[in-house]
Amino acid sequence: MSSTRQSAKKFLIFVGKLLFTLVEAMIFGLLPKPRKNVAGEIVLITGAGSGLGRLLALQFARLGSVLVLWDINKEGNEETSRMVQEAGAPQVHAYTCDCSRREDVYRVADQVKKEVGDVSILINNAGIVTGKKFLDCPDELMEKSFDVNFKAHLWTYKAFLPAMIANDHGHLVCISSSAGLTGVNGLADYCASKFAALGFAESMFVETFAQKQKGIKTTIVCPFFIKTGMFEGCTTGCPSLLPILDPEYAVRKIVDAILQEKLYLYLPKFLYFMVFLKSFLPVKVGLLITDYLDIFHVMDGFTGQKKVL
Amino acid sequence: MDTIVDTSVFLGKFLYFFLEAFAYKIIPKRKKSVAGEIVLITGAGSGLGRKLAMHFARLGAILVLWDIDEEGNMETCRLAKEKSAVKAFAYTCDCSKRRDIYRVADQVRKEVGDVTILINNAGVVTGQTFLDTPDHMIERSFLVNAISHFWTYKAFLPAMIKANHGHLVCIASVAGLVGFNRLSDYSASKFAAFGFAESLFFELCVLKKTEIKTTIICPSLINTGMFEGCKTKRPFLLPLLEQEYVAKRILNAILEEQVYVLIPKFLYYALILKQIISPKMSIALTEYLGVDTCMASFEGRKKEKELQTERENTNN
Repeated sequence: MSSTRQSAKKFLIFVGKLLFTLVEAMIFGLLPKPRKNVAGEIVLITGAGSGLGRLLALQFARLGSVLVLWDINKEGNEETSRMVQEAGAPQVHAYTCDCSRREDVYRVADQVKKEVGDVSILINNAGIVTGKKFLDCPDELMEKSFDVNFKAHLWTYKAFLPAMIANDHGHLVCISSSAGLTGVNGLADYCASKFAALGFAESMFVETFAQKQKGIKTTIVCPFFIKTGMFEGCTTGCPSLLPILDPEYAVRKIVDAILQEKLYLYLPKFLYFMVFLKSFLPVKVGLLITDYLDIFHVMDGFTGQKKVL
Repeated sequence: MDTIVDTSVFLGKFLYFFLEAFAYKIIPKRKKSVAGEIVLITGAGSGLGRKLAMHFARLGAILVLWDIDEEGNMETCRLAKEKSAVKAFAYTCDCSKRRDIYRVADQVRKEVGDVTILINNAGVVTGQTFLDTPDHMIERSFLVNAISHFWTYKAFLPAMIKANHGHLVCIASVAGLVGFNRLSDYSASKFAAFGFAESLFFELCVLKKTEIKTTIICPSLINTGMFEGCKTKRPFLLPLLEQEYVAKRILNAILEEQVYVLIPKFLYYALILKQIISPKMSIALTEYLGVDTCMASFEGRKKEKELQTERENTNN
């Protein structure tokens, strides 16, 4: 008898919480959420040498953060460093690091800990794309793709999360992709890695939540293609719903989401609807819609960055 | 004019597929015959792999069984042959090694033939908090649970494409749809397996290889010993599943050529809910369903632990 009463009580508490959060969500949906101050925070960005990484670095520079820039490309990284200093960052530290190699990540992480301090905002952004059809993609390239896009996250978390937990202060940002929400024709290895990155960040969020580490925030970003050159040549079948994103717009939204400590950010907004549809539409209907919106062929014109990896 | 024709065709097909899906909810779909098909099951030495092998034996398929555990694999082979007079071939293969997969795949091609049903089922789980899990075990989780799928596909898909006949089955997990506490590496690897299988599904659709089917299975936690010790908070909604039940559901899904299969059915609704509600509401739901506590009493396979300690001792 008492166990039924307990179950009923638990269920009522759950419904209560659900209603409360629903009301909270509705209110905050209307009111702008306060944006936190990141002046003085140590922000580490992987893949800062170009594209999204560079733009993120510039934004955080303007907000007064201390920047730690990682990239395998020394030149690009130093250029970002110079631009960031001009933008007014209090301190900038650039390190050359091959994120696909665990030892390298740990080595440079140790350097950062000694020379700069404890990283409080970790932005796992580094990513590569092969753009080849699966059977045409050499095995080593697939492995490398997975290593940079995802395994690097494992090692950066291992390197920097302990200090965040000790200080009960930190923010973990995962730059995944719309290709981490749904498979894409022509991006098998990229999808696998972006799905993994999303799943890992989400699991770690549940883990920090379960361990009551309230000071550790997580933000998972899933953008569609951004016009940074990484997906050069890609087209969208439906520019009104799924446009190829303008980099400045994307970066603004991402930084905003971080400052509001949002958990998920899908860009463009249509992705929320798409994922919702995908969760219940019959498969054939989903395929039909994808075909009609010409989304199957987004990778057909892919040429990628001219620079060799 | 073209747009009008296109849109009309689209709307027509849209309605048709919706009606078809509704119809199949009431009338069961025709189950295909797998007699004579060459079914490869990774991780066939125990648990779900073994159960699936028994079912396929009963249906007259030719079995190719892979596992790193030679004893368990031979036992599965023996049991399958006992069950019905089928050909069953057991190979010892370490799915965490690409070269091993390719080597054994070549053997299979020579000794048995072209695999027509590929079931990527092999999986390992560590069950610790992320920071307590040693790096090499995290790596191993990925190599077995996700990366091995790249190589088995590479080994067997070309022949399927040539013959325009085949079935790719990915045993993912509910942890491949939602993150779980103390399962970060397992979860991430199952997400990867899901994303990979889905991408290939789309790739094959575009290549119009309509006779190569894909099935992605996402079961909740199963009582095979792999998740020994786990407790679910809401056994009514999310029970610890019975192996036999899951194996039957998977078999049905393969025979009916379903694409996405979530077990138990409650997961479909939970997932739709997840897309609508805000993160804070998700958290309340997570707490209620015990997603954050189900791994707290995890013990896992005793053998796994022994292998673990063995490896650590040899590394030291």
